[in-house]
Amino acid sequence: MRLSLRWKIVGGFGLLLALIAVLGWVTLSLFGSLRSVQRKVFDEAIPALVAVDEIVLGYTAQSAAVRGALVSSNQTHLATYGREVEQTDFWEEQASGLFELAEEQAIFDRLVEAGHDFQDLVDTEVIPRATSGKRTQAFSILSSQGDVLIGQVEVQGELLQRSQQDRVMQSEAEAQSRTRSAILILLLVVIGALALGTFLAWVLPRRLAVNISKLVEVTRAIGRGDFDQDVQIRSGDEVEELATRFGEMQAGLKRLQQLALQDRELEIAASIQQNLLQRTLPATPGVRILPLQRQANLVGGDWYDVEVADDKLTLVIGDASGKGIGAALMSTVALSFLRAERALGSDMRRIVERTNEALLDATDPGSFTTLIYTTLDLNNGEARWLNMGHPAPFLLRANRGNSGVPRGAYVEGPRNRALGWFQEPGYAEAVTILEPGDCLLFFTDGWLEGKATNGEVFGEQRFAEAVMRLAPVGASEIGERLVEEVEQFAAGKLDDDLTMLVIEYLGTAIPGGSVQVQTGEQEWHSRR
Amino acid sequence: MAQQKVEIDITNAGEYQVLTPNGDLDVYTVGSLRDAIGTMIDQETARVVVDLDQVPFMDSSGLGALMGGVRRLREAGGDLAIACTREQHLKLFAITGFGEGVSIAPTVEEAAKDFRH
Repeated sequence: MRLSLRWKIVGGFGLLLALIAVLGWVTLSLFGSLRSVQRKVFDEAIPALVAVDEIVLGYTAQSAAVRGALVSSNQTHLATYGREVEQTDFWEEQASGLFELAEEQAIFDRLVEAGHDFQDLVDTEVIPRATSGKRTQAFSILSSQGDVLIGQVEVQGELLQRSQQDRVMQSEAEAQSRTRSAILILLLVVIGALALGTFLAWVLPRRLAVNISKLVEVTRAIGRGDFDQDVQIRSGDEVEELATRFGEMQAGLKRLQQLALQDRELEIAASIQQNLLQRTLPATPGVRILPLQRQANLVGGDWYDVEVADDKLTLVIGDASGKGIGAALMSTVALSFLRAERALGSDMRRIVERTNEALLDATDPGSFTTLIYTTLDLNNGEARWLNMGHPAPFLLRANRGNSGVPRGAYVEGPRNRALGWFQEPGYAEAVTILEPGDCLLFFTDGWLEGKATNGEVFGEQRFAEAVMRLAPVGASEIGERLVEEVEQFAAGKLDDDLTMLVIEYLGTAIPGGSVQVQTGEQEWHSRR
Repeated sequence: MAQQKVEIDITNAGEYQVLTPNGDLDVYTVGSLRDAIGTMIDQETARVVVDLDQVPFMDSSGLGALMGGVRRLREAGGDLAIACTREQHLKLFAITGFGEGVSIAPTVEEAAKDFRH
């Protein structure tokens, strides 16, 4: 059952109030019981005792008054007798109904009967004889019969008083016993209530404290970076809610930790890739190489490779399909195999063939790599390349012809298929002769796939137009300016990497194989 | 990089199934197409035509998923054909050489006539 802490506290106080109420009720009951005993003593036994005493004294006084009247013939004694009779009647009336026991009532009846017989004797036998002058007879009757009756009254009175005294004593004993019991019960109830209260006060906060201690421990462990803590608490209150949230927080932190680890791994991958890609470009007499790479993520699938051996420049631009680590790994595989095979002295076709085989073995069926493998003869400007499923390079001619308008075009040439996919992708070569000042732009598909907010892509047409428009800025700036164009088109949201190698052929070979060097900037300026 | 989904309609055309993605096929959404092709293989559907008419944009990831689909279906004894009239995608098929060896036609029916396996 779910019970909030608030209700638990309210419940605790409620229980305490209930205990106090029970204590009060027990106390009142015990005092009520004592009161009933007291009522029996004070309301019945003692009044009965007094009344009986008064009755016995009344009859004795009646007897004395009559005796006095017989001795002195004084009317005062008779009047006294009359008053005593009234008094005795009053007390008899008071005493009636005070005797609970039938035995006591019978004694009382006998007492009253003896008393009334005495009064009858006095009224019918003694006083008439006295008034008619027969005092001796009257005195004799009073002494013989009257004293017997008074004796009976006294005996019955004595019996009743003894019985009543016994009852008072019994009641006192009972009251004392009940008082002792009451004190004992009160003591037990107080001890029980205290024990229960202490137990609850100990157990309830203890459970709370145990749960909170558990959460504190969990927090410490999480602080140490241990995110595998068991935070199950079934208290049904806010602490359980807190534990549930702790569990969620722990899971979130764990995910964050994993992401941080992934980021770290990504950084390592990026560092490896950077080391592979951005090595220092070799000195290239007669040609300017201007690489540009703008990665959408920390690691990417675009790559390039440049090497100069003898008078031959090798340029490779590649693009592994997809993005992220997978693409980066694939580009690493391609680059490593290319370099390894080239180091063996293999020709262009063999190098690309081996790379294809490696990618076929190393990558999943949904991955592929496009590349252009180019060699440029620095002596005569002859560029030969294998286009393996890659966008065609763009050639910007230095010679504008008679019109003076920049001339440029995609160099389509024969196409082959992407690597890592077919056993035989084809290895047809394209050839072009570069003139001094010509720029050859190799680029990846990210340039063409820049996407505007309306879904339209940058595409080959816009790319070509932009290159032609930007031709006057020169080889060193054209790449950056093109990035601006594409970014502007895509409203700053480019999902793919942009990689470009701008090759500006500067010189023509002179006999003997050395190169006459010219700078591209001067070339462009001189033609403006 | 959040994984997104592209809606893919699946139509049973009798001897083959037609998958019609509705939206861009790029690195973020390509998982949906890969999963749909996987489901076809699990259901032992031998032949699948992917209709690209409702795909405004496709990058190398989308192309890779199609290529992977061709290979997986062929290994399972079936094939994948492509119905496409969009210039941009056809250009991509041509550049990468993907169009060679795979049936690519303007309509689903025509593409289905030319399954290679």
